Amino acid sequence: MTRVRVTAPRSVPRPAGETREAAEESEVGQVFVRSLIRSQLRLALVVAVGFMLILGAFPVLLAAVPGLADTRIWGIPFDWLLLGAGIYPIIGLSAWLFIRTAARNEARYRDLAGDK
Amino acid sequence: MNPAVGVVALVVVSVATAVIGFYGLRISRTTGDFYVASRTVRPWWNASAIGGEYLSAASFLGVAGLILLSGTDALWFPVGYTAGYLMLLLFVAAPLRRSGAYTIPDFTEARLDSRAVRRVTSLVVVVVGWLYIVPQLHGAALTIRITTGLPPWVGSAAVVIVVCLTVVAGGMRSITFVQAFQYWLKLTALAVPVLFIVFTLAGNGTAAVAPAAVNPTAMAPAGAYQNVSLLVALLFGTLGLPHVLVRFYTNPDGSSARRTTLIVLGLLSVFYLFPTAYGLAGRMFAPELARSGRADAVVLLLPGQLIGGTAGDLLSALVVAGAFAAFLSTTSGLVVSLAGVISQDVLGGGIRGFRLAAVVSAIVPLGFAVTTDSMALAGSVGLVFAFTASTVCPVLLLGIWWRGLTDTGAIAGMVTGAVLCGGAMVCGAVLGAETPFWLAQPAAWTVPAAFAVMVFASRRTKDRIPKTMTRVMTRLHTPERPLVTER
Repeated sequence: MTRVRVTAPRSVPRPAGETREAAEESEVGQVFVRSLIRSQLRLALVVAVGFMLILGAFPVLLAAVPGLADTRIWGIPFDWLLLGAGIYPIIGLSAWLFIRTAARNEARYRDLAGDK
Repeated sequence: MNPAVGVVALVVVSVATAVIGFYGLRISRTTGDFYVASRTVRPWWNASAIGGEYLSAASFLGVAGLILLSGTDALWFPVGYTAGYLMLLLFVAAPLRRSGAYTIPDFTEARLDSRAVRRVTSLVVVVVGWLYIVPQLHGAALTIRITTGLPPWVGSAAVVIVVCLTVVAGGMRSITFVQAFQYWLKLTALAVPVLFIVFTLAGNGTAAVAPAAVNPTAMAPAGAYQNVSLLVALLFGTLGLPHVLVRFYTNPDGSSARRTTLIVLGLLSVFYLFPTAYGLAGRMFAPELARSGRADAVVLLLPGQLIGGTAGDLLSALVVAGAFAAFLSTTSGLVVSLAGVISQDVLGGGIRGFRLAAVVSAIVPLGFAVTTDSMALAGSVGLVFAFTASTVCPVLLLGIWWRGLTDTGAIAGMVTGAVLCGGAMVCGAVLGAETPFWLAQPAAWTVPAAFAVMVFASRRTKDRIPKTMTRVMTRLHTPERPLVTER
């Protein structure tokens, strides 16, 4: 007796690589890719410049408000708290905002490029 | 300090490193495992490993030492080291992961379709790696001298031997576990003693010897130029460090590379609170350390000095262990990435070549370290960041974001940056304390110069834009599909 193995028809979904190639080749695909790159670069620059402005504002603030640097909180001078601890939450916040928006840009590209 | 404390701490850390390394050996089988852990490391592990690798002698010892010496000016160092990772996240993390390359030279060759660019990049990466290993070995020498009284070279040699053994045995996979462990060890080793010190001093009402704002030495405070130039070096230098970049290839895809970086930023932010606390405590309770020329050792000496007794010895042992974890992890990360570059470019790849290259990449800086004297650790590492920011950073940023980059432009820019920044470093070493401020902290002009030359030379050679550019740019920036099986 011969055993016959029944399998599903070979309708393997198109390999992801192919759609990717297609997106690269077509002119329309390139329009989407260019717009994705532009929006990601704009996002990165906005976050970087915003962060650097805040960073630059810290020493200006300390210099502009007399007596602020010498104010003590739990015995620690305020300028030490600001530069030694206060900047880190801002770094984390910038990073979080960037990741969220970058993922959104990519999701929009996926919708446009038509493969999910 | 009791000399046995230092020796015991060193031996324990080395043995722990070797054990975790050999455990990793059992699961590293293929060439891929050796280079980049087959890209299957989870974000938390990977982030801890990146943190462990990144926090070097400069962060563990140097930052606190510099804060003790120059107060709030030195706070820009930890801020810059952390914000450098922000820049890496913004401009490099995901595209670099999507490039699918193993090393920076792999990336530049693929992007610019040129062997010549690959060779120049390899050379620059090896120089950066060696320059960065030397301060680690200086830190080890300092630690051994201060804590055990043994000759300084023993410390440097011990680090090189342990690193060679672990890297040769297990490659990147075991290094990932070793480094994840070492991040948490370093954090504990700084946090526990400093919290102990703070609570003890607050508990028995010890009065500060000097207010934090008082400068303990006659050193002139840094001007605005130095601070800005330093920040340029740290912000843009981080994203070109070879051992940091190779880590991103161990993420499964671009978005996990971003998530990993976010975790790393959190880990670094927590870590840097503690060197800052040491520096501040040193300034207020032990300013004489700055005057005796032992500022870089403040982290090692403070527990013994302010607590003393058995508790002081135990805390010192913990700090020494953490310090060695710092030297070992950064050095092994650098050795792995250098060995990857050297073995592929000179020895034709393969596991044997990788092992040989690993030994070479560790021995050369040992020679430098033993024959030179250590400057301030954080300062000499700051110069390495300036060099990276003037060479690798422009080619990465322009390669990822600008379609017009050509091989000629990339080479011209990297050579310009290397010559200007390298020249400034040599002048600084020759002139010593006489160095003018713009040479001592060169990043503010060498980085823009390298970018300008790279853009200008690329514009002049538009016909050399590689034919593969469109395809490579698409690959760098488009998200991976969930079912991707290519690569």
